[in-house]
Amino acid sequence: MAIIEVENLVKTYKILQKQDGLIGYFKNLVRPKYKELTAVKGINFNIEEGELVGYIGENGAGKSTTIKMLTGLLTPTSGKIVVNGIVPYEKRIENNKSIGAVFGQKTQLWWDLPVIESFRLIKQMYKLPDGEYRKNLKKFTQILELEELLDKQVKNLSLGQKMRCEIAATFLHNPKIVYLDEPTIGLDVFVKENIRKFIKDINREKKTTVILTTHDLKDIEDVCNRIILLDQGEIIYDGDKQKFKDIYGKYVFAELVVSNKNGKLSDTITLNGCEIVEETEKSIKIKFNHEETTIMQILNTISNHCVVEDIHMREAELEDILKEIYKGAHKC
Amino acid sequence: MTKVLDNIRLYGSFLKTSLKEMLVYRLDCIVGMTSQMVTQAVEIIFIWIVFQNTENLAGWNFMQIMLLYGITLLSVGIADFCFDALYDIGPKYIREGDFDKILLRPVHPLLSIIGGSKEFTSLGYFLLGLIITIIMLVKLAIPITIFLILKIVFFSIVGALIIGGINTICSISSFWTYRSNEFIWSVYQIYTFAQYPIDIYNGFIKFLITVILPFAFVAYFPTMNYLGWDIYLIYLSPIVAIVLWIIAVKVWNLALNKYRSTGN
Repeated sequence: MAIIEVENLVKTYKILQKQDGLIGYFKNLVRPKYKELTAVKGINFNIEEGELVGYIGENGAGKSTTIKMLTGLLTPTSGKIVVNGIVPYEKRIENNKSIGAVFGQKTQLWWDLPVIESFRLIKQMYKLPDGEYRKNLKKFTQILELEELLDKQVKNLSLGQKMRCEIAATFLHNPKIVYLDEPTIGLDVFVKENIRKFIKDINREKKTTVILTTHDLKDIEDVCNRIILLDQGEIIYDGDKQKFKDIYGKYVFAELVVSNKNGKLSDTITLNGCEIVEETEKSIKIKFNHEETTIMQILNTISNHCVVEDIHMREAELEDILKEIYKGAHKC
Repeated sequence: MTKVLDNIRLYGSFLKTSLKEMLVYRLDCIVGMTSQMVTQAVEIIFIWIVFQNTENLAGWNFMQIMLLYGITLLSVGIADFCFDALYDIGPKYIREGDFDKILLRPVHPLLSIIGGSKEFTSLGYFLLGLIITIIMLVKLAIPITIFLILKIVFFSIVGALIIGGINTICSISSFWTYRSNEFIWSVYQIYTFAQYPIDIYNGFIKFLITVILPFAFVAYFPTMNYLGWDIYLIYLSPIVAIVLWIIAVKVWNLALNKYRSTGN
Protein backbone atom coordinates (compact mmCIF):
# COMPACT_ATOMS: atom_id res chain seq x y z
CA MET A 1 0.00 0.00 0.00
CA ALA A 2 1.21 3.45 -0.81
CA ILE A 3 2.40 5.58 2.09
CA ILE A 4 0.78 8.67 0.59
CA GLU A 5 -2.45 8.50 -1.37
CA VAL A 6 -3.93 11.59 -2.96
CA GLU A 7 -7.21 11.48 -4.85
CA ASN A 8 -8.98 14.31 -6.67
CA LEU A 9 -7.45 16.84 -4.34
CA VAL A 10 -8.84 20.37 -4.71
CA LYS A 11 -8.09 23.55 -2.79
CA THR A 12 -9.95 26.75 -3.46
CA TYR A 13 -9.08 29.97 -1.68
CA LYS A 14 -11.40 32.88 -1.22
CA ILE A 15 -9.38 36.00 -1.72
CA LEU A 16 -10.31 39.57 -1.19
CA GLN A 17 -10.71 41.42 -4.44
CA LYS A 18 -8.66 44.59 -4.18
CA GLN A 19 -10.23 47.78 -5.44
CA ASP A 20 -8.12 50.70 -6.48
CA GLY A 21 -7.68 53.95 -4.67
CA LEU A 22 -8.51 55.06 -1.18
CA ILE A 23 -12.23 54.92 -1.93
CA GLY A 24 -11.81 51.38 -3.13
CA TYR A 25 -10.19 50.46 0.16
CA PHE A 26 -13.10 51.94 2.06
CA LYS A 27 -15.55 50.07 -0.14
CA ASN A 28 -13.67 46.89 0.72
CA LEU A 29 -14.01 47.68 4.37
CA VAL A 30 -17.78 48.08 4.17
CA ARG A 31 -18.64 45.39 1.67
CA PRO A 32 -15.71 43.14 0.85
CA LYS A 33 -15.81 41.38 -2.51
CA TYR A 34 -14.24 37.99 -2.74
CA LYS A 35 -13.17 35.99 -5.70
CA GLU A 36 -12.31 32.34 -5.78
CA LEU A 37 -8.92 31.05 -6.70
CA THR A 38 -8.36 27.37 -7.24
CA ALA A 39 -4.77 26.63 -6.35
CA VAL A 40 -4.94 22.86 -6.72
CA LYS A 41 -7.30 21.42 -9.32
CA GLY A 42 -8.09 17.80 -8.63
CA ILE A 43 -4.70 16.11 -8.52
CA ASN A 44 -4.01 12.40 -8.03
CA PHE A 45 -0.85 10.57 -7.03
CA ASN A 46 0.43 7.73 -4.88
CA ILE A 47 3.84 7.68 -3.26
CA GLU A 48 5.42 4.45 -2.06
CA GLU A 49 7.56 4.12 1.04
CA GLY A 50 11.17 5.08 0.46
CA GLU A 51 10.61 7.14 -2.68
CA LEU A 52 12.51 10.37 -3.25
CA VAL A 53 10.08 12.62 -5.05
CA GLY A 54 10.82 15.98 -6.58
CA TYR A 55 7.70 18.11 -6.48
CA ILE A 56 8.33 20.92 -8.89
CA GLY A 57 6.62 23.73 -10.67
CA GLU A 58 6.74 27.47 -11.11
CA ASN A 59 5.87 29.92 -8.34
CA GLY A 60 2.16 29.76 -7.70
CA ALA A 61 1.75 26.35 -9.31
CA GLY A 62 0.24 24.99 -6.10
CA LYS A 63 3.25 23.22 -4.61
CA SER A 64 3.13 24.76 -1.16
CA THR A 65 -0.64 24.41 -0.99
CA THR A 66 -0.31 20.68 -1.65
CA ILE A 67 2.42 20.28 0.97
CA LYS A 68 0.32 22.19 3.49
CA MET A 69 -2.59 19.85 2.86
CA LEU A 70 -0.39 16.76 3.11
CA THR A 71 0.92 17.96 6.47
CA GLY A 72 -2.55 18.83 7.74
CA LEU A 73 -1.87 22.57 7.98
CA LEU A 74 -4.69 23.16 5.51
CA THR A 75 -7.98 21.38 5.03
CA PRO A 76 -8.73 20.49 1.39
CA THR A 77 -11.82 21.89 -0.29
CA SER A 78 -12.52 18.42 -1.64
CA GLY A 79 -10.74 15.17 -2.37
CA LYS A 80 -8.98 12.58 -0.30
CA ILE A 81 -5.57 12.37 1.35
CA VAL A 82 -4.30 9.40 3.33
CA VAL A 83 -0.81 9.61 4.75
CA ASN A 84 0.54 6.53 6.47
CA GLY A 85 -3.02 5.35 7.07
CA ILE A 86 -4.10 8.67 8.60
CA VAL A 87 -6.15 11.53 7.21
CA PRO A 88 -3.76 14.38 8.12
CA TYR A 89 -6.27 17.21 8.39
CA GLU A 90 -8.50 15.18 10.70
CA LYS A 91 -5.81 13.78 12.97
CA ARG A 92 -3.08 16.35 12.61
CA ILE A 93 -1.23 15.69 15.84
CA GLU A 94 -1.27 11.93 15.22
CA ASN A 95 0.09 12.54 11.73
CA ASN A 96 2.78 14.90 13.04
CA LYS A 97 4.39 12.07 15.00
CA SER A 98 5.55 10.31 11.87
CA ILE A 99 6.51 13.27 9.69
CA GLY A 100 9.20 15.91 9.57
CA ALA A 101 9.13 19.16 7.64
CA VAL A 102 11.37 22.04 6.65
CA PHE A 103 9.73 25.19 5.34
CA GLY A 104 12.26 27.44 3.64
CA GLN A 105 13.81 29.91 6.01
CA LYS A 106 11.56 29.22 8.99
CA THR A 107 13.40 27.57 11.83
CA GLN A 108 11.98 25.06 14.27
CA LEU A 109 14.96 25.54 16.59
CA TRP A 110 14.87 27.63 19.76
CA TRP A 111 16.46 30.89 18.72
CA ASP A 112 18.18 31.95 21.93
CA LEU A 113 19.48 28.57 23.02
CA PRO A 114 22.32 26.27 22.02
CA VAL A 115 21.37 23.86 19.24
CA ILE A 116 21.65 20.81 21.49
CA GLU A 117 18.83 22.15 23.72
CA SER A 118 16.47 22.12 20.75
CA PHE A 119 17.47 18.55 19.94
CA ARG A 120 16.74 17.52 23.52
CA LEU A 121 13.30 19.11 23.42
CA ILE A 122 12.55 17.42 20.11
CA LYS A 123 13.62 14.10 21.61
CA GLN A 124 11.15 14.66 24.43
CA MET A 125 8.31 15.88 22.23
CA TYR A 126 8.51 12.84 19.96
CA LYS A 127 9.27 10.46 22.85
CA LEU A 128 12.39 9.19 21.14
CA PRO A 129 14.19 6.48 23.17
CA ASP A 130 17.64 7.43 24.55
CA GLY A 131 19.49 4.87 22.45
CA GLU A 132 17.92 6.00 19.19
CA TYR A 133 18.55 9.63 20.05
CA ARG A 134 22.23 9.07 20.76
CA LYS A 135 22.68 6.94 17.66
CA ASN A 136 21.02 9.50 15.38
CA LEU A 137 22.77 12.42 16.99
CA LYS A 138 26.14 10.77 16.50
CA LYS A 139 25.50 9.90 12.89
CA PHE A 140 23.95 13.26 11.96
CA THR A 141 26.75 15.15 13.68
CA GLN A 142 29.23 13.25 11.58
CA ILE A 143 27.53 13.58 8.17
CA LEU A 144 26.39 17.18 8.58
CA GLU A 145 29.54 18.26 10.44
CA LEU A 146 27.72 19.64 13.44
CA GLU A 147 30.40 18.94 16.05
CA GLU A 148 31.28 22.55 16.70
CA LEU A 149 27.76 23.92 16.26
CA LEU A 150 25.91 22.00 18.96
CA ASP A 151 26.92 24.33 21.80
CA LYS A 152 26.36 27.54 19.86
CA GLN A 153 23.24 29.66 20.14
CA VAL A 154 21.02 29.32 17.10
CA LYS A 155 20.94 33.08 16.52
CA ASN A 156 24.72 33.09 16.14
CA LEU A 157 24.79 30.51 13.35
CA SER A 158 25.27 31.34 9.69
CA LEU A 159 22.52 30.44 7.23
CA GLY A 160 24.29 27.27 6.12
CA GLN A 161 25.04 26.17 9.66
CA LYS A 162 21.46 26.82 10.69
CA MET A 163 20.06 24.80 7.80
CA ARG A 164 22.33 21.85 8.58
CA CYS A 165 21.05 21.88 12.18
CA GLU A 166 17.51 22.30 10.89
CA ILE A 167 17.81 19.24 8.66
CA ALA A 168 19.23 17.23 11.56
CA ALA A 169 16.33 18.35 13.77
CA THR A 170 13.84 17.31 11.09
CA PHE A 171 15.18 13.77 10.74
CA LEU A 172 16.01 13.26 14.43
CA HIS A 173 12.84 11.43 15.45
CA ASN A 174 13.04 8.92 12.57
CA PRO A 175 10.10 10.32 10.63
CA LYS A 176 8.64 8.03 7.98
CA ILE A 177 7.95 10.95 5.67
CA VAL A 178 9.84 14.21 5.34
CA TYR A 179 8.63 17.26 3.45
CA LEU A 180 11.36 19.63 2.39
CA ASP A 181 10.16 22.93 0.99
CA GLU A 182 13.12 24.85 -0.46
CA PRO A 183 15.70 23.41 1.93
CA THR A 184 18.69 24.68 -0.02
CA ILE A 185 17.57 28.24 -0.75
CA GLY A 186 20.40 30.71 -0.34
CA LEU A 187 23.04 28.12 0.54
CA ASP A 188 26.49 27.72 -0.94
CA VAL A 189 27.43 24.74 -3.09
CA PHE A 190 29.24 22.83 -0.35
CA VAL A 191 26.36 23.02 2.12
CA LYS A 192 23.94 22.05 -0.64
CA GLU A 193 25.99 18.99 -1.49
CA ASN A 194 26.30 18.12 2.17
CA ILE A 195 22.54 18.26 2.65
CA ARG A 196 21.84 16.26 -0.50
CA LYS A 197 24.24 13.56 0.59
CA PHE A 198 22.58 13.44 3.98
CA ILE A 199 19.11 13.01 2.48
CA LYS A 200 20.30 10.19 0.24
CA ASP A 201 22.14 8.43 3.07
CA ILE A 202 19.18 8.51 5.44
CA ASN A 203 16.81 7.42 2.68
CA ARG A 204 19.00 4.43 1.86
CA GLU A 205 19.32 3.42 5.48
CA LYS A 206 15.86 4.11 6.90
CA LYS A 207 13.66 4.07 3.80
CA THR A 208 12.49 7.56 4.70
CA THR A 209 10.11 8.91 2.08
CA VAL A 210 11.14 12.40 1.00
CA ILE A 211 9.12 14.96 -0.89
CA LEU A 212 11.27 17.81 -2.05
CA THR A 213 10.16 21.07 -3.57
CA THR A 214 12.89 23.33 -4.79
CA HIS A 215 13.80 25.79 -7.46
CA ASP A 216 17.34 24.45 -7.62
CA LEU A 217 16.92 21.61 -10.06
CA LYS A 218 20.38 20.31 -9.21
CA ASP A 219 18.78 19.17 -5.94
CA ILE A 220 16.25 17.13 -7.88
CA GLU A 221 18.84 15.92 -10.36
CA ASP A 222 21.02 14.69 -7.51
CA VAL A 223 18.51 13.40 -4.98
CA CYS A 224 15.23 12.38 -6.57
CA ASN A 225 14.26 9.41 -8.65
CA ARG A 226 10.75 10.55 -9.40
CA ILE A 227 9.34 13.84 -10.57
CA ILE A 228 5.89 15.28 -10.14
CA LEU A 229 5.58 18.40 -12.23
CA LEU A 230 2.82 20.80 -11.37
CA ASP A 231 1.54 23.60 -13.52
CA GLN A 232 -1.32 25.93 -12.62
CA GLY A 233 -2.71 23.51 -10.09
CA GLU A 234 -2.56 20.43 -12.31
CA ILE A 235 -0.04 17.64 -12.61
CA ILE A 236 1.47 17.65 -16.07
CA TYR A 237 4.07 14.96 -15.51
CA ASP A 238 4.41 12.24 -12.91
CA GLY A 239 6.99 9.53 -13.24
CA ASP A 240 10.58 8.47 -13.43
CA LYS A 241 13.17 11.23 -13.63
CA GLN A 242 15.26 9.55 -16.31
CA LYS A 243 12.21 8.86 -18.46
CA PHE A 244 11.24 12.50 -18.16
CA LYS A 245 14.61 13.47 -19.54
CA ASP A 246 14.41 10.85 -22.27
CA ILE A 247 11.01 11.99 -23.47
CA TYR A 248 11.40 15.72 -23.21
CA GLY A 249 15.14 16.14 -23.29
CA LYS A 250 16.21 14.48 -26.50
CA TYR A 251 18.19 17.47 -27.56
CA VAL A 252 21.80 18.33 -26.98
CA PHE A 253 23.45 21.69 -26.49
CA ALA A 254 26.74 22.50 -28.20
CA GLU A 255 28.93 25.55 -28.23
CA LEU A 256 31.25 25.92 -31.22
CA VAL A 257 34.30 28.15 -31.02
CA VAL A 258 34.82 29.50 -34.55
CA SER A 259 36.94 31.93 -36.54
CA ASN A 260 36.88 33.49 -40.01
CA LYS A 261 33.16 33.68 -39.98
CA ASN A 262 31.51 35.55 -42.87
CA GLY A 263 28.33 37.23 -41.78
CA LYS A 264 25.57 35.87 -39.69
CA LEU A 265 25.15 32.13 -40.16
CA SER A 266 21.57 32.05 -39.03
CA ASP A 267 20.71 34.22 -42.03
CA THR A 268 22.63 32.25 -44.61
CA ILE A 269 22.20 28.59 -43.78
CA THR A 270 19.39 26.27 -42.70
CA LEU A 271 20.11 23.23 -40.57
CA ASN A 272 17.67 20.35 -40.30
CA GLY A 273 16.77 19.48 -36.70
CA CYS A 274 19.13 22.07 -35.34
CA GLU A 275 18.51 25.52 -33.98
CA ILE A 276 21.04 28.30 -33.52
CA VAL A 277 20.38 29.65 -30.04
CA GLU A 278 22.99 32.35 -29.87
CA GLU A 279 25.61 33.63 -32.24
CA THR A 280 28.57 35.97 -31.81
CA GLU A 281 31.74 36.71 -33.78
CA LYS A 282 33.69 33.93 -32.03
CA SER A 283 31.08 31.41 -30.97
CA ILE A 284 27.87 29.72 -31.99
CA LYS A 285 25.52 28.06 -29.56
CA ILE A 286 23.28 25.40 -31.03
CA LYS A 287 20.64 23.01 -29.85
CA PHE A 288 19.81 19.89 -31.82
CA ASN A 289 17.79 16.74 -31.61
CA HIS A 290 19.59 13.40 -31.42
CA GLU A 291 17.13 11.61 -33.60
CA GLU A 292 16.95 14.12 -36.41
CA THR A 293 20.58 14.97 -36.97
CA THR A 294 24.11 14.36 -35.72
CA ILE A 295 26.91 16.71 -34.77
CA MET A 296 28.91 15.55 -37.82
CA GLN A 297 26.17 16.62 -40.23
CA ILE A 298 25.95 20.00 -38.53
CA LEU A 299 29.70 20.50 -38.58
CA ASN A 300 29.79 19.60 -42.27
CA THR A 301 27.42 22.39 -43.09
CA ILE A 302 28.87 24.96 -40.74
CA SER A 303 32.49 24.38 -41.68
CA ASN A 304 31.68 25.56 -45.20
CA HIS A 305 31.19 29.03 -43.75
CA CYS A 306 33.84 29.24 -41.06
CA VAL A 307 36.64 27.39 -39.28
CA VAL A 308 35.51 25.38 -36.27
CA GLU A 309 38.24 25.39 -33.65
CA ASP A 310 36.64 23.76 -30.65
CA ILE A 311 33.38 22.11 -29.55
CA HIS A 312 31.76 21.86 -26.11
CA MET A 313 28.74 19.64 -25.82
CA ARG A 314 26.35 18.90 -23.02
CA GLU A 315 23.12 16.95 -22.56
CA ALA A 316 19.95 18.84 -21.81
CA GLU A 317 19.52 19.18 -18.06
CA LEU A 318 16.30 19.31 -16.15
CA GLU A 319 16.43 23.06 -16.13
CA ASP A 320 16.60 23.27 -19.92
CA ILE A 321 13.72 20.86 -20.26
CA LEU A 322 11.57 22.74 -17.81
CA LYS A 323 12.29 26.02 -19.54
CA GLU A 324 11.08 24.47 -22.77
CA ILE A 325 7.93 23.20 -21.10
CA TYR A 326 7.13 26.52 -19.44
CA LYS A 327 7.77 28.37 -22.68
CA GLY A 328 5.44 26.04 -24.55
CA ALA A 329 1.71 25.80 -24.25
CA HIS A 330 1.91 24.56 -20.66
CA LYS A 331 1.40 21.11 -22.02
CA CYS A 332 3.66 18.11 -22.12
CA MET B 1 -3.93 9.72 32.39
CA THR B 2 -0.41 9.03 31.11
CA LYS B 3 -1.17 11.47 28.32
CA VAL B 4 -1.96 14.20 30.84
CA LEU B 5 1.24 13.43 32.78
CA ASP B 6 3.25 13.48 29.55
CA ASN B 7 1.81 16.86 28.68
CA ILE B 8 2.57 18.25 32.13
CA ARG B 9 6.15 16.98 31.88
CA LEU B 10 6.48 18.48 28.42
CA TYR B 11 5.10 21.77 29.68
CA GLY B 12 7.72 21.67 32.42
CA SER B 13 10.44 21.25 29.81
CA PHE B 14 9.07 24.09 27.70
CA LEU B 15 8.98 26.29 30.79
CA LYS B 16 12.53 25.37 31.73
CA THR B 17 13.61 26.22 28.20
CA SER B 18 11.85 29.57 28.37
CA LEU B 19 13.55 30.34 31.69
CA LYS B 20 16.92 29.57 30.14
CA GLU B 21 16.11 31.77 27.16
CA MET B 22 15.07 34.57 29.44
CA LEU B 23 18.13 34.35 31.66
CA VAL B 24 20.24 35.00 28.57
CA TYR B 25 18.98 38.56 28.85
CA ARG B 26 19.96 39.25 32.45
CA LEU B 27 19.94 43.02 32.34
CA ASP B 28 16.58 43.14 30.51
CA CYS B 29 15.28 40.94 33.25
CA ILE B 30 16.30 43.29 36.05
CA VAL B 31 15.17 46.47 34.30
CA GLY B 32 11.81 44.92 33.38
CA MET B 33 11.10 43.69 36.88
CA THR B 34 12.03 46.98 38.50
CA SER B 35 9.84 49.06 36.21
CA GLN B 36 6.86 46.78 36.80
CA MET B 37 7.27 47.21 40.54
CA VAL B 38 7.42 50.99 40.17
CA THR B 39 4.17 50.99 38.18
CA GLN B 40 2.49 49.04 40.93
CA ALA B 41 3.90 51.35 43.60
CA VAL B 42 2.09 54.24 41.94
CA GLU B 43 -1.20 52.36 42.25
CA ILE B 44 -0.56 51.59 45.90
CA ILE B 45 0.09 55.25 46.63
CA PHE B 46 -3.19 56.06 44.91
CA ILE B 47 -5.10 53.62 47.13
CA TRP B 48 -3.38 55.07 50.17
CA ILE B 49 -4.45 58.58 49.20
CA VAL B 50 -8.04 57.40 48.82
CA PHE B 51 -7.91 56.10 52.37
CA GLN B 52 -6.64 59.42 53.67
CA ASN B 53 -10.14 60.65 52.89
CA THR B 54 -12.23 57.74 54.01
CA GLU B 55 -12.19 55.19 56.80
CA ASN B 56 -13.37 52.26 54.78
CA LEU B 57 -14.63 51.14 51.40
CA ALA B 58 -17.79 49.01 51.61
CA GLY B 59 -16.65 47.82 55.00
CA TRP B 60 -13.03 47.13 54.00
CA ASN B 61 -10.24 49.12 55.66
CA PHE B 62 -6.92 50.02 54.04
CA MET B 63 -5.05 46.93 55.21
CA GLN B 64 -7.80 44.58 54.08
CA ILE B 65 -7.86 46.21 50.65
CA MET B 66 -4.09 45.90 50.50
CA LEU B 67 -4.32 42.19 51.35
CA LEU B 68 -6.74 41.77 48.44
CA TYR B 69 -4.30 43.73 46.29
CA GLY B 70 -1.38 41.51 47.29
CA ILE B 71 -3.32 38.29 46.75
CA THR B 72 -4.39 39.55 43.32
CA LEU B 73 -0.79 40.33 42.38
CA LEU B 74 0.26 36.78 43.27
CA SER B 75 -2.15 35.32 40.72
CA VAL B 76 -1.50 38.03 38.16
CA GLY B 77 2.26 37.45 38.49
CA ILE B 78 1.92 33.72 37.91
CA ALA B 79 -0.59 34.18 35.08
CA ASP B 80 1.51 36.78 33.26
CA PHE B 81 4.53 34.54 33.52
CA CYS B 82 2.76 31.39 32.32
CA PHE B 83 0.35 32.70 29.71
CA ASP B 84 2.12 35.70 28.27
CA ALA B 85 2.76 34.06 24.89
CA LEU B 86 -0.98 34.07 24.16
CA TYR B 87 -0.48 37.72 23.24
CA ASP B 88 2.02 36.66 20.58
CA ILE B 89 -0.28 34.35 18.60
CA GLY B 90 -1.69 37.06 16.33
CA PRO B 91 1.15 39.56 15.94
CA LYS B 92 4.03 37.11 16.08
CA TYR B 93 3.11 33.51 15.30
CA ILE B 94 0.43 34.03 12.67
CA ARG B 95 1.62 37.24 11.11
CA GLU B 96 5.23 36.12 10.77
CA GLY B 97 4.28 32.60 9.72
CA ASP B 98 5.75 30.81 12.73
CA PHE B 99 2.37 29.34 13.48
CA ASP B 100 2.88 26.54 10.95
CA LYS B 101 5.87 25.21 12.80
CA ILE B 102 3.80 25.05 16.00
CA LEU B 103 1.10 23.14 14.12
CA LEU B 104 3.66 20.62 12.89
CA ARG B 105 4.65 19.51 16.37
CA PRO B 106 3.21 16.32 17.82
CA VAL B 107 1.63 18.24 20.72
CA HIS B 108 -1.39 20.49 21.04
CA PRO B 109 -0.46 23.97 19.73
CA LEU B 110 -1.80 25.64 22.87
CA LEU B 111 0.70 23.71 24.97
CA SER B 112 3.54 24.72 22.65
CA ILE B 113 2.51 28.36 22.67
CA ILE B 114 1.84 28.68 26.39
CA GLY B 115 5.06 26.78 27.11
CA GLY B 116 6.92 29.40 25.08
CA SER B 117 5.98 32.21 27.46
CA LYS B 118 8.88 34.13 28.90
CA GLU B 119 7.55 37.28 30.49
CA PHE B 120 10.15 37.70 33.21
CA THR B 121 8.95 41.14 34.28
CA SER B 122 5.87 39.55 35.82
CA LEU B 123 8.14 38.09 38.50
CA GLY B 124 8.20 41.67 39.78
CA TYR B 125 4.42 41.52 40.26
CA PHE B 126 4.73 38.22 42.04
CA LEU B 127 7.46 39.43 44.41
CA LEU B 128 5.59 42.60 45.24
CA GLY B 129 2.41 40.58 45.80
CA LEU B 130 4.28 38.28 48.14
CA ILE B 131 5.72 41.15 50.20
CA ILE B 132 2.38 42.95 50.48
CA THR B 133 0.53 39.75 51.38
CA ILE B 134 2.95 38.85 54.17
CA ILE B 135 2.98 42.37 55.65
CA MET B 136 -0.79 42.61 55.60
CA LEU B 137 -1.34 39.16 57.10
CA VAL B 138 0.94 40.18 59.97
CA LYS B 139 -0.65 43.61 60.41
CA LEU B 140 -4.16 42.16 60.34
CA ALA B 141 -3.06 39.60 62.95
CA ILE B 142 -4.18 36.69 60.81
CA PRO B 143 -2.31 33.62 62.10
CA ILE B 144 0.02 32.32 59.39
CA THR B 145 -0.51 28.59 59.65
CA ILE B 146 0.74 25.87 57.30
CA PHE B 147 -2.86 25.39 56.23
CA LEU B 148 -3.20 29.06 55.30
CA ILE B 149 0.06 28.99 53.35
CA LEU B 150 -1.05 25.91 51.43
CA LYS B 151 -4.41 27.54 50.76
CA ILE B 152 -2.79 30.71 49.44
CA VAL B 153 -0.38 28.76 47.22
CA PHE B 154 -3.14 26.55 45.83
CA PHE B 155 -5.68 29.30 45.21
CA SER B 156 -3.08 31.65 43.73
CA ILE B 157 -2.38 28.99 41.11
CA VAL B 158 -6.10 28.42 40.58
CA GLY B 159 -6.50 32.20 40.20
CA ALA B 160 -3.74 32.26 37.62
CA LEU B 161 -5.51 29.45 35.75
CA ILE B 162 -8.75 31.45 35.73
CA ILE B 163 -6.93 34.44 34.23
CA GLY B 164 -5.17 32.09 31.77
CA GLY B 165 -8.48 30.53 30.75
CA ILE B 166 -10.06 33.91 30.05
CA ASN B 167 -6.97 35.00 28.10
CA THR B 168 -7.02 31.77 26.10
CA ILE B 169 -10.66 32.24 25.12
CA CYS B 170 -9.88 35.81 24.02
CA SER B 171 -6.82 34.64 22.12
CA ILE B 172 -8.96 32.96 19.45
CA SER B 173 -9.36 36.46 18.05
CA SER B 174 -5.81 35.88 16.74
CA PHE B 175 -7.26 33.80 13.93
CA TRP B 176 -9.06 36.85 12.57
CA THR B 177 -6.87 39.79 13.50
CA TYR B 178 -3.16 40.36 13.97
CA ARG B 179 -3.94 42.83 16.72
CA SER B 180 -5.42 40.18 18.95
CA ASN B 181 -2.94 41.11 21.69
CA GLU B 182 -4.76 44.40 22.21
CA PHE B 183 -8.11 42.63 22.43
CA ILE B 184 -6.85 40.11 25.00
CA TRP B 185 -5.24 42.92 26.98
CA SER B 186 -8.37 45.05 27.07
CA VAL B 187 -10.52 42.19 28.32
CA TYR B 188 -7.84 41.26 30.84
CA GLN B 189 -7.82 44.76 32.28
CA ILE B 190 -11.32 44.16 33.60
CA TYR B 191 -9.65 42.24 36.42
CA THR B 192 -8.86 45.63 37.98
CA PHE B 193 -12.51 45.76 39.10
CA ALA B 194 -11.92 42.67 41.20
CA GLN B 195 -9.09 44.37 43.11
CA TYR B 196 -11.73 46.22 45.14
CA PRO B 197 -14.74 45.00 47.14
CA ILE B 198 -17.44 44.12 44.62
CA ASP B 199 -20.13 45.70 46.81
CA ILE B 200 -19.07 49.14 45.59
CA TYR B 201 -20.24 48.31 42.05
CA ASN B 202 -23.66 48.25 40.45
CA GLY B 203 -25.39 45.06 39.38
CA PHE B 204 -23.98 45.00 35.88
CA ILE B 205 -20.32 45.10 36.92
CA LYS B 206 -20.96 42.57 39.67
CA PHE B 207 -22.49 40.24 37.10
CA LEU B 208 -19.63 40.92 34.71
CA ILE B 209 -16.83 40.00 37.10
CA THR B 210 -18.51 37.02 38.72
CA VAL B 211 -20.31 35.34 35.84
CA ILE B 212 -19.18 36.56 32.41
CA LEU B 213 -15.50 37.09 33.21
CA PRO B 214 -15.19 35.47 36.64
CA PHE B 215 -12.23 37.54 37.82
CA ALA B 216 -13.82 37.77 41.29
CA PHE B 217 -12.85 34.12 41.81
CA VAL B 218 -9.17 34.92 41.27
CA ALA B 219 -8.53 36.81 44.50
CA TYR B 220 -11.68 38.45 45.82
CA PHE B 221 -13.50 35.35 47.12
CA PRO B 222 -10.27 33.74 48.34
CA THR B 223 -9.38 36.91 50.28
CA MET B 224 -12.87 36.90 51.84
CA ASN B 225 -12.02 33.41 53.05
CA TYR B 226 -8.61 34.40 54.44
CA LEU B 227 -10.29 37.25 56.32
CA GLY B 228 -12.86 34.82 57.67
CA TRP B 229 -15.79 36.66 56.08
CA ASP B 230 -16.96 34.09 53.60
CA ILE B 231 -15.82 30.54 54.00
CA TYR B 232 -17.41 28.78 51.05
CA LEU B 233 -17.27 30.80 47.84
CA ILE B 234 -13.50 30.23 47.57
CA TYR B 235 -14.15 26.55 46.86
CA LEU B 236 -15.99 27.44 43.68
CA SER B 237 -12.76 28.82 42.23
CA PRO B 238 -11.28 25.46 41.10
CA ILE B 239 -14.61 24.54 39.48
CA VAL B 240 -14.67 27.88 37.68
CA ALA B 241 -11.10 27.28 36.49
CA ILE B 242 -11.88 23.79 35.17
CA VAL B 243 -15.05 24.91 33.37
CA LEU B 244 -13.23 27.86 31.83
CA TRP B 245 -10.44 25.67 30.50
CA ILE B 246 -12.84 23.11 29.05
CA ILE B 247 -14.59 25.93 27.20
CA ALA B 248 -11.27 27.51 26.21
CA VAL B 249 -9.81 24.37 24.63
CA LYS B 250 -13.10 23.57 22.84
CA VAL B 251 -13.51 27.01 21.25
CA TRP B 252 -9.81 27.20 20.48
CA ASN B 253 -9.96 23.92 18.54
CA LEU B 254 -13.04 25.08 16.66
CA ALA B 255 -11.39 28.36 15.71
CA LEU B 256 -8.24 26.54 14.63
CA ASN B 257 -10.22 24.22 12.35
CA LYS B 258 -11.95 27.17 10.77
CA TYR B 259 -8.61 28.88 10.27
CA ARG B 260 -7.13 25.80 8.61
CA SER B 261 -9.95 25.49 6.13
CA THR B 262 -9.81 29.09 4.96
CA GLY B 263 -6.05 29.24 4.57
CA ASN B 264 -3.94 32.28 5.08
